[in-house]
Amino acid sequence: MEVILNTGRTVDQGVSMERGKTSPEYFEKVAVAFLHPEDAGAVGVGEGQAVRVTTEFGSVVVRCLLGNTERGTIFIPMGPWANSLTSPLTEGTGMPSLKGLKAKIAGAPGEKPTPLEELVKRWRGEVGSA
Amino acid sequence: MALLKGVVCPFCGCLCDDLEVEVQDGKILSTRNACPVSRSKFLSHAEDRARPTVGGREVGMEEAVEEAARILREADFPLIYGLSSTESDAQRLAVRLAELTGASLDNTSSTCHGPTVLAAQECGAVKCTLGEVKNRADLVVFWGCNPAEAHIRHPVRYSLTPAGMYRQGKKERFSVHVDVRETRTSKMVNQFIKVEEGKDYELLSALRAALRGYEVKEAAGVPGEKVKELAERMKGCKFGIIFFGMGLTMSKGKNLNIDAALRLVRDLNDYTKFLIMPMRGHFNVSGANEVLTWLTGYPFAVNFSRGYPVYNPGEFSAVDLLYRGECDAALILASDPAAHFPARSVRHLASIPTIVIDPKVSLTTKLARVVIPSAIAGIECDGTAYRMDGVPLRLKKIVESPYLPDREILGRIIERVGA
Repeated sequence: MEVILNTGRTVDQGVSMERGKTSPEYFEKVAVAFLHPEDAGAVGVGEGQAVRVTTEFGSVVVRCLLGNTERGTIFIPMGPWANSLTSPLTEGTGMPSLKGLKAKIAGAPGEKPTPLEELVKRWRGEVGSA
Repeated sequence: MALLKGVVCPFCGCLCDDLEVEVQDGKILSTRNACPVSRSKFLSHAEDRARPTVGGREVGMEEAVEEAARILREADFPLIYGLSSTESDAQRLAVRLAELTGASLDNTSSTCHGPTVLAAQECGAVKCTLGEVKNRADLVVFWGCNPAEAHIRHPVRYSLTPAGMYRQGKKERFSVHVDVRETRTSKMVNQFIKVEEGKDYELLSALRAALRGYEVKEAAGVPGEKVKELAERMKGCKFGIIFFGMGLTMSKGKNLNIDAALRLVRDLNDYTKFLIMPMRGHFNVSGANEVLTWLTGYPFAVNFSRGYPVYNPGEFSAVDLLYRGECDAALILASDPAAHFPARSVRHLASIPTIVIDPKVSLTTKLARVVIPSAIAGIECDGTAYRMDGVPLRLKKIVESPYLPDREILGRIIERVGA
């Protein structure tokens, strides 16, 4: 299903970031996507279940949280999971496109949210970025 | 036990200066007046600390500093990036180091309010302090920002509910939230206006047209009568302000969205007093812009490879340099680009010798050749920081630290690079 992806701050993202970006709490609060309940239903994903989000720049699996967004849009808190999907193109401004990106969502039964260690391996070129 | 009062929070650009911190035996026990993020920063300051390492091997500070200096000396095109979560003396020394090494120097504003700077350079900005907002504003517009999540005490201390000299709290202020989705901020204001994704420029332009009496049938999904109503409300207030955030700077249009907002505010001053202020994120990102501007003439994306400063966002900004794979070494100061840059830019950071100066283990430290731990500005060392409205405030040292301040680490690297 095609959606618009927005990224940004949340209180939970900020609090857990200050605890430490390698903490379980950061993973729990940031490796998530907020979906409208009807969109989640359309791709067969429930609260807390795995959802795969893909853009032309990458793909990650995150945990679905219901609500807090409009139909046809999803929101992922700023962090390495969101930025696996964002555009590095700045159109001459220095500012990458971190909001309003075209994305696809799909249920990911049997999969778990992409671990931080895998993202680090992707950055190092040790594994592909899906 | 000591109760320290008037402590300035080193988290976001609000720089709330009314915190109280209880300290006993060199440990922070509790905070008062702090938002949840600030509280977490103070109470977790000793956790998850970085260790000095070279190539993943723990070393002494001197060896880490020496290796950092060697990398920068030998690099042809280093990048120095970050600066926004440290104090201004460290920022000043980062400029010196960039000059010495012929580096590109960028701060985090290139990925937050860089477009705001670009737009303000085109058409100027009508600005004020947060104190003036508290005392005088009777119309507050939050556009593309979410202070309820990102600048948590902003509405309470400065913009919505505080009693000021001429405004007695929320009942004497009308407040509007314009955004692509309803958030916690929408629930705090009198009116929420939903703008369609990527169409902020259209709505801002429609407001400018409505101000001049043109008929607007619909703009960015907002009915014409609502556009007219907001335009009339803006014209009719005594002191209005737009606070704006990443909803404008990061989405389609970027600096052109801000240009439209700045010009709307300029137009409004034909009728009343109206102002505009970016919601700055990192606690001293404003300071990074100030310090770079004093010393180089430019606020971010400055390159020294010709021996003098050259400014060119898109060419010398960090995300672009990394995405194109141009820099051959990097020093990251008080920032975590691995967490907050698009992954395709992060990859190059992982492939070059990267030095990280940071108090904590970050995702960038996981990619770094050299890690140098530092004291946390505003908790473990003092310094100066600039609030989102450009007002400088003095950060306090709350507890002793075994770590050196960023400014001392940079000073040592500069000594060795220059030797």
